[in-house]
Amino acid sequence: MQEKNITKEPEIIELTLPVNSAYVSSARLTASSIANRLGFNIDEIEDIKAAVSEACILMISQCIKAAETNFHLQFNLYNNYILINLSSNIKNVDISSIDNEELGMKVIQTLMPEVKFESENDIFKISMKKSK
Amino acid sequence: MDFQLKPEYNSEKNCWEIAVKGEIDIYNSSNVKDYLSNIVQERPCDVYMDCSELEYIDSTGLGALVAIVKKVKNNGSNMYILNTKPNVEKVFKITNLDKVFIMK
Repeated sequence: MQEKNITKEPEIIELTLPVNSAYVSSARLTASSIANRLGFNIDEIEDIKAAVSEACILMISQCIKAAETNFHLQFNLYNNYILINLSSNIKNVDISSIDNEELGMKVIQTLMPEVKFESENDIFKISMKKSK
Repeated sequence: MDFQLKPEYNSEKNCWEIAVKGEIDIYNSSNVKDYLSNIVQERPCDVYMDCSELEYIDSTGLGALVAIVKKVKNNGSNMYILNTKPNVEKVFKITNLDKVFIMK
């Protein structure tokens, strides 16, 4: 079967996950498969897996506080990089309260070169970008 | 992924030898913490954790191990983390926990 080449427009893969720790491994496996598809090397794939997992943990903890039952995980696949967005309908998350010294945050900040947290229009969003 | 924790008490060396297989993550880290906590409470001594088949550990798993190493150290003993795969060793280093455990 002939594969379609990845063009300038990103290919997008989206998952909606329940706020249930049992499915974080599904997010991790999906991240691994997609990173492999994009041609990241083994170390980079491990980094992306770990960062996605930690971002899911952070998102789950925010969802639990807000009694939100789902969150969204979106992979944007570009030629040379991957942009990963996690989001949920959570109002007024105090970004400054996210502790950079917490273990999971250290992992995310170290493994992903670009990380952004946003709380706008009743949406809490984590964005992470990694280039090849 | 299947997860296994096999603890064996070595009476000659007076230590726990624990083989861990699979992944420690947010789903099972609380159980891992409770299980290991009971073990080190039952028989306080050094703990050697063989991680040669530990495929992945997340921050909640690290947190569980930190809780255990605190108990072990309170008993005057040490906790050794052995044979980690590169990806597992990396998260210990990122979080500076390679200085809390004895890594071999």
